[in-house]
Amino acid sequence: MGGLNTSLLIGVQALDATQGALDATSNNIANVNTPGYTREVAQFAENGESQSGDEVSGGGVTLTALQSVRDELLNIQIQQQTSQQSSVNTQSSSLQQVQTFFTTSGDDIASELTAFSSSLAALSANPSNSATQQGVLSSGQNLADAFNTTAQGLSTAQSDADQLVPQTVSQINSLTQQIALLNTQVSQVPASEDGGTTQDQLDQLVQQLSGLTGISVTQGTDGETITTGSGTPLVIGGQSFNLQTTAGTNGFQQVLDSNGTNITSSIQGGTLGGAIEIRDQVIPGLQSQLNTLASQFGTAFNSAQAQGYDSNGDVGGDFFSVPSNENDAASGISVAISNPTQIAISSDGSAGSNGNVANLSAALTKALPSGQTPADAYASLVFQVGSAASNASAQSTAIGDNLTQLTNQQGAVSAVDINEETTNLMRYQAAYEAASRIVSTVQVLDNAALNMGSSTSF
Amino acid sequence: MRIDPNMVPDILSDLQQSQVSLNTALQEVSTGKSVNVPSDNPAAAAGMVQNTIETGDVDQYTQNVSSVLSTVQTASSVLSSVVTSLTQAVTLGTEGANGTSSTADRQTLATQIQGILSSVVSFANTSVAGTYLFGGTSTATPYTADSSSTTGYTYNGNNDSNSVAVGDNLSVQMNVPGSQVFSNASNNVLGSLSSLVAALQGGNASDIATATSGVDSALGFVGQQQAVYGNAETQLNSQQTFLQQDTVTLSTQENNLIGVNEAVAATDLTQAETDNSAALAAAAKVLPNSLLNYLEPPS
Repeated sequence: MGGLNTSLLIGVQALDATQGALDATSNNIANVNTPGYTREVAQFAENGESQSGDEVSGGGVTLTALQSVRDELLNIQIQQQTSQQSSVNTQSSSLQQVQTFFTTSGDDIASELTAFSSSLAALSANPSNSATQQGVLSSGQNLADAFNTTAQGLSTAQSDADQLVPQTVSQINSLTQQIALLNTQVSQVPASEDGGTTQDQLDQLVQQLSGLTGISVTQGTDGETITTGSGTPLVIGGQSFNLQTTAGTNGFQQVLDSNGTNITSSIQGGTLGGAIEIRDQVIPGLQSQLNTLASQFGTAFNSAQAQGYDSNGDVGGDFFSVPSNENDAASGISVAISNPTQIAISSDGSAGSNGNVANLSAALTKALPSGQTPADAYASLVFQVGSAASNASAQSTAIGDNLTQLTNQQGAVSAVDINEETTNLMRYQAAYEAASRIVSTVQVLDNAALNMGSSTSF
Repeated sequence: MRIDPNMVPDILSDLQQSQVSLNTALQEVSTGKSVNVPSDNPAAAAGMVQNTIETGDVDQYTQNVSSVLSTVQTASSVLSSVVTSLTQAVTLGTEGANGTSSTADRQTLATQIQGILSSVVSFANTSVAGTYLFGGTSTATPYTADSSSTTGYTYNGNNDSNSVAVGDNLSVQMNVPGSQVFSNASNNVLGSLSSLVAALQGGNASDIATATSGVDSALGFVGQQQAVYGNAETQLNSQQTFLQQDTVTLSTQENNLIGVNEAVAATDLTQAETDNSAALAAAAKVLPNSLLNYLEPPS
């Protein structure tokens, strides 16, 4: 049979347990806005009952743990979506930058092609007027400049993406080192228990890492093993593996794993994957079409020029100087002549003839060797840039919605709810007050028992 | 089921979305364009490349039409004057061929025909803005005096003509070379006038009659050449009408591609404004809500 001491003990245990629960509640409230914080719940367990004779009495309560409430599966989904989103965002912002060069602005290729075409039509009406001749020369120069500017815009976007590569790699290395340290700490916590705040920090860092590159996370006996999507190890237990960058033969930064193997082409997702895709796939595709257009157009116009005679009666020379390497065509195209009298206007060598202007004009409207007219070839570039940019931003929105959904789910599991904590605060307050009352009551009863017989009224 | 207690991210994303719609609507109303960068509508942006180029060309073709039209009209009126002069020469020649004309009369007539010849030559040398109308594609003065020539004049131009682009696949011949109009081998205007002068000076009535009929046939020929210009003028006028229609078509197309329906844009803007205020009002109502607001402070 239990005595007053048993009650006192139960009361004290209740005070201790409730105190712990109050601590958890306070900590939850304190961290309501802390990123990555996972709410803790107090887990109570009843103590073993004691039996004395026929009587069984309860053994009170113990606070077994302050358990962080988390869902690792949701974390992994969030990591994957984060990787995709930051990859798409990197591409989207680069394409936004690129597409301004393909926007009708007055000095884009379409506008300059228009002006060049008009200037040739004007030359047709006024072949011997030096102002209209100069007009053709100037608008030809402007067109070449527009090609140069657009090519420059593409290379700038490409080298911006290239600069992201070493920056991102150094961020990745710094994160993987921190993760490896935390991994060691978490792995010392028994598997049955929760890593608590250390685990929160670890999850937070892994999520940051997933924004930088696509990763795959597996739980092992010695903590988390993190590899890139294609299996290059980044963190194994307490050890981290640094990625390295080095300038490649194409002049761009290549990513090497810790053994020095080039893994650039296998990197996907995250800022790093996005930057590499823009730099090595998207922009080179656009560049090659722009170069083909510049080269074929320049060559076609030069052939038209060669069909006629200039104002000096000579066979028309090259109007555009087109770099022999097609890869430099758009960035290097320029006007080869400096004097409007070198435009091959005449078809018969006489100064007043405009017979070759029709050939020059036709160079702008006839299909190039690529099968498209210059305007169509440029229009298809505009379409590609536009749809790439609009796809990237649509994808970003879609992934963003998905991510919001997942974050809401994660929040439903792990986030601190002030109302809930307030309610808990009141519950624990009541429990604490009641437990205190047990102690004070036992004290009164103890006094009563101790004083039995010392003051009898008999 | 527990739900996410943190409403801030949702509210922020709603606010952001309504702000984006508001910006888009505002931009459409203020620019009058629904496509400002290619990603707004890639197909329309690509379509606009062709539209811009065609619009530029049509503008230039329209200018070409009016400049060619004025040249053609000038040339046509010059030929009318030539016809008048030649008609006069035929009258004078007929008068000279008449048996009642004295030698002195014929000398006077010869001088008058000589004057007509010089004025026809000056017509043939007409230039517009530095370009000779009847010199072919040459920039040299078409006819210069040459005593060694039977007509007294040499043609310095060439036999070519220029055609001016007034449409994507349409060009109009702008000039007829002098070698065709004035010194054609079969109907030589200048030659026939020179012959008439010579015949009048010679005084043989039948020679004068032959020479006069030569001038008469040259007169008919010049009339035919004038028709070339007349045709060009008709063609140019109809092309001008076509270009005007084309301008309208192109600007309609532009409007369809990237234009904004004002009414729709204005409605969208109002809608976006309403959405935005609603999102803000909702945020203001929901965010401060908490159980704590309803609890008595601890005594």
